[in-house]
Formats: sequence, structure tokens, C-alpha cells
Amino acid sequence: MADRTLLRAAQLTLVAALGATLLVPVIWPLDQSAVDLAHVGLSPSPGHPGGTDDLGRDVLHRSIYGLRVSVLVGIVAALAASLLGGIVGGLAGLLGGWTDRVLMRLIDTLAALPHLLLGIFIVAMLRPSLGAVILSIGLTHWLSTARIVRSELLSLRTRPFIDAAIAGGASRRRVLTRHLLPHVLPKIALATTLMIPHAVWHETSLSFLGLGLPPHLASLGNMINDGQRSLLTGSWWASIVPGLLIIVVTLAIAALATRWRDRLDPRARAELDL
Amino acid sequence: MIKLVRRRLAVAVPVLFATSIGMFLLGAASPMDPAMQYAGATAFTTDPANLAQIRANWGVDDPLPVQYARWLGNLFQGDLGWSTSRHEPVGAVIAARAGWTLLLIGVTLAVVLAGSLLLGTIAAYRRGGLFDRGIRAAAYAVESMPVFWLALAAIAVFALALGWFPAGGLTDVTATSTTFGDVAHHLVLPVAVLTVSQAPWFLLFVRDSVADSLRDDHVLAARARGLRGRTVLFGHALRTALLPFLTLVGTHLPELVGGSVLVETVFSLPGLGAVSVQAALGSDFPLLAAITLITTAVVLLANLCTDLAYTAADPRVRIDG
Amino acid sequence: MLRRTLPLTLALLTAVSLTACSNPDAGTASSSTKPLVVATAGEPDTLNPILGYGTDGASLIFDGLVARDAQNTLIPALAAELPVVNGTTVTAELRGGVTFHDGTALTADDVVFTYRSVMDPEVDSLLRSDLDMLDKVEATDASTVVFTLKYAYAPFLQRLVLGIVPAKALTGQDINKAAFNRQPVGTGPYQVTAWTPGDKLQLTANDTWWGGKPATSAVVVAFVADDNVRAQRTRAGEFDAVELAPKLATPFPGFGVHKVPTADYRGVMLPMKNPVTGDLAVRKALNVAADRSAMVTGVLAGAGEPAYGPVPPTSEYAEPSVAGTGSADTAAAGKLLDDAGWTAGADGIRAKNGQRATFTLMYPATDSLRKELALAVTADAKKAGIEIKPEGLTWDAITPRMRSDALIMGFGNPYDPDFVSYKLFRSDFAEQGYYNPGSYHSAVVDQALQDGRSRPDNRKDAYTTFQKQLAADVPWIFLTYLQHTYVVRDGVNGVSPRVEAHEHGVENSIWWNLHTWTRA
Repeated sequence: MADRTLLRAAQLTLVAALGATLLVPVIWPLDQSAVDLAHVGLSPSPGHPGGTDDLGRDVLHRSIYGLRVSVLVGIVAALAASLLGGIVGGLAGLLGGWTDRVLMRLIDTLAALPHLLLGIFIVAMLRPSLGAVILSIGLTHWLSTARIVRSELLSLRTRPFIDAAIAGGASRRRVLTRHLLPHVLPKIALATTLMIPHAVWHETSLSFLGLGLPPHLASLGNMINDGQRSLLTGSWWASIVPGLLIIVVTLAIAALATRWRDRLDPRARAELDL
Repeated sequence: MIKLVRRRLAVAVPVLFATSIGMFLLGAASPMDPAMQYAGATAFTTDPANLAQIRANWGVDDPLPVQYARWLGNLFQGDLGWSTSRHEPVGAVIAARAGWTLLLIGVTLAVVLAGSLLLGTIAAYRRGGLFDRGIRAAAYAVESMPVFWLALAAIAVFALALGWFPAGGLTDVTATSTTFGDVAHHLVLPVAVLTVSQAPWFLLFVRDSVADSLRDDHVLAARARGLRGRTVLFGHALRTALLPFLTLVGTHLPELVGGSVLVETVFSLPGLGAVSVQAALGSDFPLLAAITLITTAVVLLANLCTDLAYTAADPRVRIDG
Repeated sequence: MLRRTLPLTLALLTAVSLTACSNPDAGTASSSTKPLVVATAGEPDTLNPILGYGTDGASLIFDGLVARDAQNTLIPALAAELPVVNGTTVTAELRGGVTFHDGTALTADDVVFTYRSVMDPEVDSLLRSDLDMLDKVEATDASTVVFTLKYAYAPFLQRLVLGIVPAKALTGQDINKAAFNRQPVGTGPYQVTAWTPGDKLQLTANDTWWGGKPATSAVVVAFVADDNVRAQRTRAGEFDAVELAPKLATPFPGFGVHKVPTADYRGVMLPMKNPVTGDLAVRKALNVAADRSAMVTGVLAGAGEPAYGPVPPTSEYAEPSVAGTGSADTAAAGKLLDDAGWTAGADGIRAKNGQRATFTLMYPATDSLRKELALAVTADAKKAGIEIKPEGLTWDAITPRMRSDALIMGFGNPYDPDFVSYKLFRSDFAEQGYYNPGSYHSAVVDQALQDGRSRPDNRKDAYTTFQKQLAADVPWIFLTYLQHTYVVRDGVNGVSPRVEAHEHGVENSIWWNLHTWTRA
């Protein structure tokens, strides 16, 4: 019961968020570089439901724009990372042997580098921009997906039901699509879902270190950073509004993805009650 | 198993070589000028010829192979080089700071592992229950919070409002020596923040893996043989779930290092994190290469341990790497 | 196997923690009084004056031949009296009986060594750029130093605040890599006990200081780079004095705020080679359209004042006619542009002969103050029909574009108008690094700046001409002079703020006279 309510709430949240990010630019466009020094740090009011920030900019308006940018960064980066990780992990797990060994050593090597640092380096090289941030997240986050996929495949290869399917004359393709993929996809889906907030996290961290998106661009990361200072001066809304927006949307995405995984899992009904 | 160790060591050397070359190539591609970084704000009032002279003194305009050969030659003599961003021998930078970062990461890792195994298994056991839902919601929520935000919030609550713990630093700012109690007191908040920020990945994974393995054939069979719930949970389900979990620990070590960069920044801890960022921004090849090599070596070692544990945890897997 | 590895891992971790914790510490408890703790954002890279520590004096650890008092007036320090300038020869007599922290006596050789090291191309010193007028330095006897200049340079004595190092400690060493740089020996009121990089610098009083025994026996300088963290730790009561950003420097129980006037200005550098900013009417319009008062209240939280030129109002050389009301005059800006033929298009942005009134304004991405000023200028310009596209970049991306794109820059020190302006506005420095990147060219300014340094009798007139010409040509839009804001614990006595420079940190901040501070 509660589950369904939660799911409904998550769906509504996402629809509302999606609608706002798509519609607001049309009905209420934002001038990214506009400031209003006469209305600095106003607390939330009917005119400014999210208050105004240090430079007199409407916090809610910018947060919605920021959500657009941050979620775009998050989704594109997470998809890129999962695709890359799925391919590499899949190759390693399916082909095994020499390919597996080479790919795993490659992953070991890359995984040994702290990826926030690697990300900093990539952004520094490409100069901070939207593309550079996405690329730096995508290129540094595929490793865990690759490992999860590979280890899942390795473990599956030894399972009796796969042997049985092969013994029963199933084609390689059928084994892959009917038996292996359904087991691996949920793991990838889960990893991707968890990566979206992580990608937003990454964007914020890069901003915190001064290497994120252009600082006057309304992204949730930039806004939280700008708003930090306001926490100490009493104008909490400047960082709480964008912060809550990230958390709510992230939770909604995660809730839906979990449900989606449960549906995908063909063995979900064989659950054992201890 | 000894064969595995020996083969891994044989692989480690080329990996370390490749890493150091990769670091130099990345550095060469970076547009940043180490002399500018060295000059800091003074750069704006400094004669360009003055800066060029300093670059020449450092040999940073030499061809990359020359720089790399020079660095490698010194390395074999035990000299890690001179850090242009810290103005110290690289060895000294690392000696002074690596211990604190290792301490922060080590303690955090221990707490994270113990906590996530315990809580994750309980959540899986009672999946769908209040505890499971609560902890998953919390995990997702924490996942989406930037580390430095958590850190600032922790400081606001525990250091400012309650006054239980210091807001930063490694020792009391007026202390003249380093004592265990003082350091421990200062590390509580950083470790707690890093733990909370890193735990969700591990916890959710343990929870899902254990929940999954509770549906596994051999677990079902164990239950069917009439074994007790707790025995099945910890003896069979958790053991099966440990396999993918162990790979996760290995992959997540660098993630932990990344988190420690931010935590060290917020709590002003004199670890490797802050200097790494400085080195990356300042194109400080020698320091970057050394930090990278050390991290790589540590992680390769951790991976080896993981794989050894891996074979022990799931006898069906044979690693011939 | 797992049961065997886990304890092993734990044992390893314990071993690591034990090794880390048993790090030896150089400090030893000696004083019974609590040390004074000051906190700053910037940690020095080195504590060696030759390599750039304490360039402007007040370094706590070292003394120069001369020092500055609370009014920034030069007073003798290691020199017995202010050195005598005779054309291109400057002679300094040393104070007698001065010793370094290690007990050795100060001699003229130490002074000669310090300055020669700065000029040595093998030494990675950036001060060479400041001393390009210096030809040679010699000791004529144990207590006399003679500087010979390449050309007459009026403010040369200002360059003698540089801290003096003991020659004995560094002779024959690679100064760039000497251990001295982290464990320095000076003559100053404090000596270094320990420096934990990234954390703090511990100092103890030099009880035999020639200037008198310091009032506080121990001092800690804490390094906390992040503004918000520094503010939080201040509120937790860790520091006695700390610099905070204006918006964070609010009074709270037990602490008071000091707003210290500075010569630290921010402005927009307008490149002459850009088709829009190269137009005088556009520059003049931008100058009157900028709402400096709103920037001071909105961006700086009141900690600043409008700026109209590179010579701060606190300077004796400031020209009073170069001033304004602080508020924007959008109508005047519009008239200037109309008269010059820049007419408004359908979207409100002006154009002239097919050239749209739009340009890019760069700011360093990590500097939130410059970002906010860039956005404020952008908003003001838009009201006058000029479109500015702000762009936050790293310095390496900014540098190659400075000759054609506008940039928010910041400079300034209160000591002498020659120091920054000579290289920033003279045409022979055009496009040399950060000197005059916009290629500003004015024969009047060139001559005035030359007169200012080479004709000591007539400096005031020279700098008046310079400032007036600059105001007429508007190569920069000067926006604000900052006030550096400090939070100081109640009961700390002896705080005596003086006009500060752009660069300040351990040295040269509100605690320049820390040795006289006492705590109730």
C-alpha cells in the first residue's frame, strides 16, 4: 500500500520536475547573467517563493534552470559511463581468457587512480565547460559498472541453469538475451541510477574546487556553493532550495529505478521468506 | 595462490610504468604553466622574462621524453624529485602527509565495511520492512548530498551548536605536540562525515546482493535442509553476497581517496588530498607522478587481497590472473 | 580465508594509525600563556624572503633595512637611519648590536647576500622584477651597504623593506631547495618553532629583539583556505583574529569586526584592440553607467568604496578631481553613445556601422568577488544598451585572450603610485604578460609615469597629470577599492589597522604589529 503511494509520489515528482524544466524556459526565460543588487538576500515571499540570493537573483527560478543543467549532466554522464562499462565488462565476462585479463588489468590501472583527481585533470585540460564536466564524469565512472557486469557474468557462467540451457540446445544468442541479460541489466540499471546523483555530486565537487561549470551559470552545484556562505549569514534558502531539489529528484529517480529493477528480475517471484 | 601473487607482481611493474608515463602525458597536455602557479598572485606584477628564467631553471620546457628520463633516473636513485607546487622535495611532502590520509581513509574504511555489512544484511533480511525502507531512503538521500555539504552541516551541528568536537585541524590550534587523544578527537567528525558519505554505495550493494542470494538455489536448499534462519543468512546468503561486494571494495578505494580530498579541504587536515589538487592545478609532474604511483601500488595490493579473498569466498571461481 | 584476512587488514590499519600518530613533533611546550592565534586563507609557499616571503615587510620573522609604521611611513629598522639617496647611489648604515635568532651578529655581508641572491638568475625569485633598477650592491665596511642603481628611481627606499637573511645559513647551498626555506632564521620579533604545511605555523617570541621584547610570547598562524570553513571555525572560538569575506565578517558575541581601508582595487581592463571597447565613447559610457555604490553595498556588503583611478584616496598623490558620486548615470551614458553614433536596435542593444555593441568580459572562475563584479557590470551595461557576455575561465585560458577581451583585474598597494601603474599603463609594456594587456597607449601617461619615478622633486604634478589623462582615456573602469574585513576577539589590545595592499597573508595583514598585541 505505502509502496504504491510512494511510487505515485515519485512519479508525480518526476513529472512535475520534468514539466518545470521543460516549460519554464518557454514561459519564464532566465537571463543567466542578470543580477539585481537592489534586492539582495530577500527571504522567501509570494514574489520570490524561494527568496533571492547574494546578487538579488530569484532562487527558485534559478534552481529550476539549475535542475535542467544538473540532471542533464547527470543523465548523460551516467549513461555514457554505463554504456562504456557495460561493453567492457560484457566483453571481459563473456569472452574470458586473454581479453578478460587485458581488460581487467586496464580497469585495475584506471581504478587505481582517484577518479576525482582524474576528473579534475580532464576538466583542467579541456577547460571548465558543460562538455568537459560530462566527459570527466563519464570517463571516470564506468569502471565499477564494468566490474559488476563481469563478476555477475563470471558467476552466472558457473550456474547450473545456464549449463542446463546450453545442454538443452539453446543458441548463444538465446542464452545471452534470455538468461544472461535479464540478470545483468538490473545491476546495470541500479548502477546507472545510483550514478545519476553521484554525477550531480561530482559536478558540485568540481565546482567546490573551482573547476566546475562556468560559475555564473545556474547549475545546482554552483548554486549550492554560492549558497554555502548564505547559510552562515542566515539566508538559508539560497542553498537549501537547490539542495532539496537535488535530493527530492534523486530519491524519485531511485525509487522508480528500484521498482523497474524488481519488474525486470525474472526470479523476483521465487523469493524466499526466512 | 602463491602463483597468483607472483603473476600479479609481474603485472604490477608494467602497470606502474604505464601509469607514470600516462601521468606525464596528461601533464604535458595540460595547458597550465607551473611557473605561473609558483608565482601565484605575484605573477601579475612579474616580468615575463623572470618567469621564463624560472621555467628554464626547472627544465619544464624540455622535451617530455627528456623530462621523463630525468625523473626515472632520479627515481632509481631513490630521489622522487622536487615538487614545484610545494617547494619541497616530493619525498618530504609525502612523508609529512601520507600518514594522515592513510589514517583517515583506513579508519573510515573499517567503519564503512563493518557498518554496511551489518546494516545491509539486516535490511535484506527484513526487506520491505520499515528498517529496510528507512535505511535505503537515507542512503539515497545521502548519496545525493555533496560531501562538503555534509561536512559543513556536521561542523554547524556538532562543532558550533553542540561544541562536542573541534571544527577542523589535526590538533588543537594552540597545541605544541601531537598526542593520540587530541588527534582522535579531531578525527571523529572527518571520519564520520567520510563514512556517512561513502557508506551508501556499500550498504545498498550488500543489501541487494544478500537479498538476491536469499533467492539462490543453494540458499533455498540450505533452508530446505532445515538450517536455522540466522545460519542461512550469515553462513550462506551473506557469504554468496560477499563475492561481488569484495570487488566493490577494491573499486571504491580511489572513490574514498576522492572523498578524502574534499573532507581534508573542509576540515583543513594536512593530508595528501589538498596537495594533490594543488599539484594537478599546478602541473607539478613529480608530485603527481609520485602520488599516483603510490596510490596505484596501494590499490593493486588491495586488489590482490580482494582476489585472494574472492577465491576463498566463492570456491566456484578460479582466478588465473 | 576471509576470517584470516579481516584481522590482518585490521592489524594493518592499526599499524598505519600507530605510525601516523607517532610522528615526531618539533614543538615543545615552553610558555605558560596561551598563544595568540590568527588565521588566514593563504599559506606561504616558502618562508625565505629571497623567494618572496614578506616582500612588503611586516613578516613577523624578518626585518628589512627599513619598515613601515601605522601610517605606512618608512622608518629605519635594520638600518640605523633612513638610507641616504644620492642620485643613483643609496647608502645604508646598519643598526649596531642586531643578532639573528641563532645568535650570530648581523653584518653588511648579510644584506649584500640577500639582495645579490634575489638578482641571481639561478635563484627562482620573482622579486627580480621589482628590483630591475638595481645595478649592484656592495658592502664598503662591516656596517655599510651601498646600492648602485641603473637609473634614478624615486621610490627605491620602499624596496628596502625586504627581509634580510643570514648569509652563513645559505652560502654555498641551492637556495631554491634549502631547508632554510621551511626553518628560517631571521632577526624579527618572532622565530619559527614548527611549520605543519596545510595546518599551522608556530612562532615564539625573540626575547632579544632589537625593537624590544614582544608582548606575546607565542603566536600560531592557522591556515584555513576555505572562506566558509574559516568563518565556522571562527565562530567556534578557535581564533583571536581572522580575515573573513565581508559578508561573513559579521559581529557575534565576544568578537568585533575591523574594516581596514586598502589600496586594493578591482576594475575592468578594456582592450584597445577590441572593436567595441576600443571605442572611447563606449568606454566612457560604461564608466558612467557603472553603479559603484550598488556594488559596494550589494557585492561587498558595504566593505569598500567606489574607485575611479589606480591611486587610492588615502594616498598623498591622489587627485581629488578624479572622483564621482558612486551612482550610475544611465542617461549620460546613453547620451555619450547617441552622440557617437551608437544607436539602439530592436532588442535594445546598440550598434554603429553594423558593429553590435557587445563584448566578452572574462573573470577568473575561482574568484567569486570578481564573478559578482563582472555580473554587476554586465547588468549596468545592459541598461545603457551594451551587451556584455561574462565568461568564467581559468587563468591559462584568460591569458591568451587578454589583448582582445575585457577582463576583471585587481591590483594595488598603498606604498607608491609607481609600483603597479608604471608597468600597467605604459605603452612600452603593452602585451607583456599581465602588464598592460589591453595595449593602452598614451604619450602623456608614458611621460608622466617616467617623470614620477625619475624626478623626485616633482612627483605630485606628474601623478596628477597621469590620473587626469587616465580618467579621460578610460582604459580601465575602476570599480571599487576593497576594505579587508577582519574579526578580532574582544579584549585583544594593540590592534592598529593600516592601509593594506592587494597582497596580504601571514605578513602585512591587520596583525602587522602583532608583537605589540596583548590579551586581557
